[in-house]
Amino acid sequence: MKFGKRLKNQIQETLPEWRDKFLSYKDMKKLVRLISSGPSTSEELPDSGKAEAEFIYLLNSEIDKFNSFFVEQEEDFIIRHRELKQRIQKVITTYGPNGAQPSEVDYNKEMGRIRKDIINFHGEMVLLENYSNINYTGLAKILKKYDKRTGGLLRLPFIQKVLQQPFFTTDLVSKLVKECEDTIDAVFPVKDEEGRREEKGERKVAMLPGQSIFRNTVAALVTMQEMRKGSSTYSHFSLPPLNLTDSNYSVLPT
Amino acid sequence: MRKIMEEYTTLSFQRLGARQLSNLVASGAMSSSLPVLPTPLEEKYPKLPDSQQVSLEREIMANSVPPHATQLASNSGVVGHMFSSASGFTTDLHFSSAPHERHFTNAPFISQSSSDGISLPLTRSSHSGVFQSRPMSHYPRENNNISWSADQLQSFLDFPENVPTQNNQVESSNSGIMPSDDNTKRSDWQEWADQLIRDDDPSTPNWNELLADTNVADTELETAYQAPKPPQNFLVQQPQVHQQIPVLSGDLSSVASPSSSVTGVPNKPRMRWTPELHECFVEAVNQLGGSERATPKGVLKLMKVEGLTIYHVKSHLQKYRTARYRPDSSEGSSEKKMSAIEEMTSLDLKTGIEITEALRLQMEVQKRLHEQLEIQRNLQLRIEEQGRYLQMMFEKQCKSHNDRLKTLSSNLEESSAPLLDVMQHSAKNEVEPTKSCAETGNDIMDASAIPEESSRKMSRKQKEPESHSEDLNLEGVSGSDSPPIKRVKADDRSVASAKLASD
Repeated sequence: MKFGKRLKNQIQETLPEWRDKFLSYKDMKKLVRLISSGPSTSEELPDSGKAEAEFIYLLNSEIDKFNSFFVEQEEDFIIRHRELKQRIQKVITTYGPNGAQPSEVDYNKEMGRIRKDIINFHGEMVLLENYSNINYTGLAKILKKYDKRTGGLLRLPFIQKVLQQPFFTTDLVSKLVKECEDTIDAVFPVKDEEGRREEKGERKVAMLPGQSIFRNTVAALVTMQEMRKGSSTYSHFSLPPLNLTDSNYSVLPT
Repeated sequence: MRKIMEEYTTLSFQRLGARQLSNLVASGAMSSSLPVLPTPLEEKYPKLPDSQQVSLEREIMANSVPPHATQLASNSGVVGHMFSSASGFTTDLHFSSAPHERHFTNAPFISQSSSDGISLPLTRSSHSGVFQSRPMSHYPRENNNISWSADQLQSFLDFPENVPTQNNQVESSNSGIMPSDDNTKRSDWQEWADQLIRDDDPSTPNWNELLADTNVADTELETAYQAPKPPQNFLVQQPQVHQQIPVLSGDLSSVASPSSSVTGVPNKPRMRWTPELHECFVEAVNQLGGSERATPKGVLKLMKVEGLTIYHVKSHLQKYRTARYRPDSSEGSSEKKMSAIEEMTSLDLKTGIEITEALRLQMEVQKRLHEQLEIQRNLQLRIEEQGRYLQMMFEKQCKSHNDRLKTLSSNLEESSAPLLDVMQHSAKNEVEPTKSCAETGNDIMDASAIPEESSRKMSRKQKEPESHSEDLNLEGVSGSDSPPIKRVKADDRSVASAKLASD
């Protein structure tokens, strides 16, 4: 129940284009309930069998949905990653100290834009990773419910398949994220006091697009932390609690 | 969520004090080394036996910081591979047949791709830098620093609703007072962000130590991963290992999963791009005179990638063109429009420093989430891996046990029917042996070490719905090789004694 609610919250905070790409957790839970209530009532077998088939069908189509969305996003990221690097290079060779038209003002201005863009880009990639993870978690939970309710054995083999799905194999995105971080660290080194004061008067583009990413990221972290707190169904398959904050602040209402 | 926000509201009230820019600037130069990783293994939750815990941590670390070479090997020199989504299960049968040897043949590509453009040499230390306490000299620790962001950024957040500039100016002039609920709520985001990036437990050093062992752990991990598995199930670690660039290893493999009956989903070859493939694409495009002049057909021909279709190239070209003429910003045209408006009004309000700081905070939070996700993912992989291994072990045990049972039970049947009845009554659940094997296999995953009582389940012949004991916590599962063995022994004893009695 809690997961469903958290998932819903997460979806609310997510980037608008992503809203319908998440797991239909609620629907699947309904199906599981339908299946498990089948045999015990006087309904004939085909009905519960039908619900079961529908469940499996929905599982598969959800996974397809995840895969398609994920792979497409990944493709975009690959393209944008390269373009960002190109932009940086161009700015350096144009406005940089050794460039064609060295100009500190222009350099800073362009770099400022790039910085915002690259940080948002980084954020989106991380959110995609989060997307992958939260859907995986949802799948694992719904499979567990299924097994529990129907006495079936779907969970273990199914989850093994899921682990190999494109949407869960996030190695490439992860690598892009790290590269991004490295680039940011290299190109936008930590400025000292002097540099800060200079930037003061500069005009910068608003970071409104970044706000939603920021919110989403914070929401994701909080969600993750909450989900990993101890629960009644804690088992060997559960993840350990996540401690992100000082103990003072870790008291959250359940 | 709401409740949490309220909690945080009270906190944020306390923390918003007077901010001075000089403070901001001064403290910004502070170097506070923040250990970034929390410890995932706490006292609260059931402890695995120590040795297990350590090795688990090790393997996690090894997973999350794979050796430079391996990572590159898996992801570079790789071609986008295609797979169909028959039942949503696109197993990598042909991928798995791409063994490790391929890594090394790709060495030349590795060095190529890693040094293009600006991307820095990704040295080992830079990776591990993520986990170690990075000198976060830029990171604002003081309350004051966050309070500015709370105030300034909250007016950011208000933008979509409160367009008039005056509002925001009024807000930003309020030092530390949050007049409205809305503002309070919005500043919570910064509060959360701050708390999420705070200092962690002192037990984080664990991770740093473990990180030093990455080398060792890696080799351990590799063998651990390979030992229990048949080559077919080559795990997710390197899903994209393939032949060299020009050749797409992927055929349109449509593999139907055995566990799904009805697919109903049409087979669609899905293409998975990689940076290397994209590089190849860009080269082809440039050769043809740029993204505007190049045609999908021409690019396809130039790329000479097996299995790549014009459809793939076409859609990729479209994305490429879009990316070039709308230099990187977040997706969504609606957001773009808003940002244009914001640009005009916000510039007067936001100083460069504040924006820089906001971006920095955003970056920190993102980094944090990324790390946590990596850890979580590796844990999940590990958990499932272990589950699978246990299942396999259990099934093996089951099989040999069943074989034995069959011979013994045929002996029993002759003489000990009344005795069997007695034994049946003493047990709660009665299950048919072969069925119980698989089901209780699942049980093992969910239950604690199986008590001896349940061993009697095995010798039952009648079928009855089994009640799962999911509520039991699993402790020391790692050592759960023993329960099956115990059970066998227990059964032997009970059966043997029955036999004796009947004699």
